Amino acid sequence: MPDKSTGLGRAQEIYLNRPQRAKELKAAGKKIIGYPCAYVPLEMLTALDLVPYRIYGSIKEPVTEADRALPTSFCPFIRSCLDGALKGKDDFVDGLVTAHSCDPQHRTAHVWESCVKYAYTHFIDMPGTVRADSLEYFKGQLGDFKKTLEAFTGKELSPDKLKAAVKSHNQQRALVRELYELTKPIPPLVSGTEILQVIKALMSLPVTEGNELLTQVISEVKSRQDGPAKKLARLLIWSSTSDDTDVMQVFESGANVVMDESCGGFRPFRAEVKLSDDPIDGLADYYLNEITCARTFRQATIGETRKDYAEDLQSRFGYFKGIVKDWKINGAILFLVRYCDPFAFEMPALKDYLERIGVPSTYVEYDYTIGALAPLRTRVEAFLETIS
Amino acid sequence: MYFAGVDIGSTMTKVVLTDTTDRILSVIKGPTGPEHRRLANEVMRMALEQAGVPLEEVAYIVATGYGRLNVPFADRQITELSCHARGIYSLFPNIRTAIDIGGQDAKCMKVNNGKLVDFVMNDKCAAGTGRFLEVIAATLGIKLEDLGALSLKSTKKASISNFCTIFAQQEIVARLSEGEKVEDIIAGIHDALASRVAALAQRLKIEPDVVLTGGVAKNSGMIKAMRDNLDCEILVPPDPLITGAMGAAILAKETHMKAAADGETLPTKPRRLEKATFFTEETN
Repeated sequence: MPDKSTGLGRAQEIYLNRPQRAKELKAAGKKIIGYPCAYVPLEMLTALDLVPYRIYGSIKEPVTEADRALPTSFCPFIRSCLDGALKGKDDFVDGLVTAHSCDPQHRTAHVWESCVKYAYTHFIDMPGTVRADSLEYFKGQLGDFKKTLEAFTGKELSPDKLKAAVKSHNQQRALVRELYELTKPIPPLVSGTEILQVIKALMSLPVTEGNELLTQVISEVKSRQDGPAKKLARLLIWSSTSDDTDVMQVFESGANVVMDESCGGFRPFRAEVKLSDDPIDGLADYYLNEITCARTFRQATIGETRKDYAEDLQSRFGYFKGIVKDWKINGAILFLVRYCDPFAFEMPALKDYLERIGVPSTYVEYDYTIGALAPLRTRVEAFLETIS
Repeated sequence: MYFAGVDIGSTMTKVVLTDTTDRILSVIKGPTGPEHRRLANEVMRMALEQAGVPLEEVAYIVATGYGRLNVPFADRQITELSCHARGIYSLFPNIRTAIDIGGQDAKCMKVNNGKLVDFVMNDKCAAGTGRFLEVIAATLGIKLEDLGALSLKSTKKASISNFCTIFAQQEIVARLSEGEKVEDIIAGIHDALASRVAALAQRLKIEPDVVLTGGVAKNSGMIKAMRDNLDCEILVPPDPLITGAMGAAILAKETHMKAAADGETLPTKPRRLEKATFFTEETN
């Protein structure tokens, strides 16, 4: 049983029972807004006193209900998310906000809205590239989002409220980065499994409560004596989403996971929203340009007939160079969810880039079920045998 | 002083007992079956008996394969990828690429001086594995071990376009109804499987020597199909089933010898042949 008096214990408790706090807040009159992807600007929800609640699938629950509504040969993660919704897993959620982070999320969003009745739904369209005109288009999308939120809440989303929310969420990003500073020592002071529990807890709480939890966790971890042991390798995990500690423990059985570059890890916290006069401008720039998900393509040059491959790699993956150096990473696992086209397309180039900067890597595909863990274990162990 | 490698694969369990010169003293192979958690002690007992070696004289034991965690008397677990690499290297010192096609997976390994340096494995699916051939043999009413010789009689291999085991089965029925000869169909099936494995292997840069192991390497038709698909010479060990267990035994010796050279004594498991217990009713 988790020790609830400690920050890590509380994070574990929330990880194991994520809806608990959201249900309490709902009973106290708050509105809970579900979202299945990191591309929903949570600041706009927080600013209107709505509680963002990230919806996850479950690798332990076989998809059954969603198969009636969706094709079966595509993203098992989003199928699992919808399956949970159809089974009433998150039935305390008042509204659902989705984004065109990828085609499966886009198409599933519309099926989802028609199968489950919410008081509020909104879909945000997202450009797939980082061109200047993409940004203008995306700003317009956030303007539409603002309008439907205002209509739903009956309140005005003023620039001041939004600026305050941006500050709170930026503080959360800074705190998560501070937590990741604590995986830099050898051995790390905090494990990948513990960080995953903390981050899934953050995605189940209002931002201020999440920040309090983070502050407590960071202070505990800094002075702890019972941190993880030094293992064979210091791993980087690159994934669209890897959200179950059972999976993380397969990685950590023989290695220290010191950087989890996935949606339930470092990715949504790596950068900050710039404070702009119109806070929507800063949000648009952050959500389109700064989240390093493979769903957005970042080529080095636009409009030229000939592109330089090395420059493209640098433009798409350059941020890994500093991560590899600062976290002393000596191996990477490129962990793909089956049928995830954006990550599958990005993988060979990233593998190549990592090789160029001296990091051996392997890629493993999984079908977002617990049945994938045994083959995963063999692949991870074999990879560790090659690099140790 | 003796060493043992225990390879519990999805279909077959293999034990190899060696001495300090890597000479093989005994080999036991048996079907893994659904009770493989209870089988490890039994095959080990048979291997010891065959060699006339008491268990206490086995200095170090390495378990490998999917069931590697179910060998209670093993001192260390190493994945089958590293074990195959080491085992094949002991037979073919110039090996650079190894392809192992077993019952439930196909793997391709890059090997440098006996050490695994890179690998790819098939996804979680029967396509590209020995199970594919088992299903096809059953569909055609032919013994698995007869597939190879029959397919070599083919003069015009049938075109089988499906990798999926179930769809391929349907395709075979369609070909049979069109009057295709059984040997041509089997040759087509071997080609379909080989092209699937070759595509997997080509994700790594294939360098000679290339060695094929696993149960599927006992099939002469498959060896030919792999040769045709990879367009290079394919070497096959005399017993392609035991390279994993052999590598495990060699790695057991190397682990033990390295520790001894460093003046260390490695912890070992009690030398008792007990069946593994996983279920609560067994411990009651």
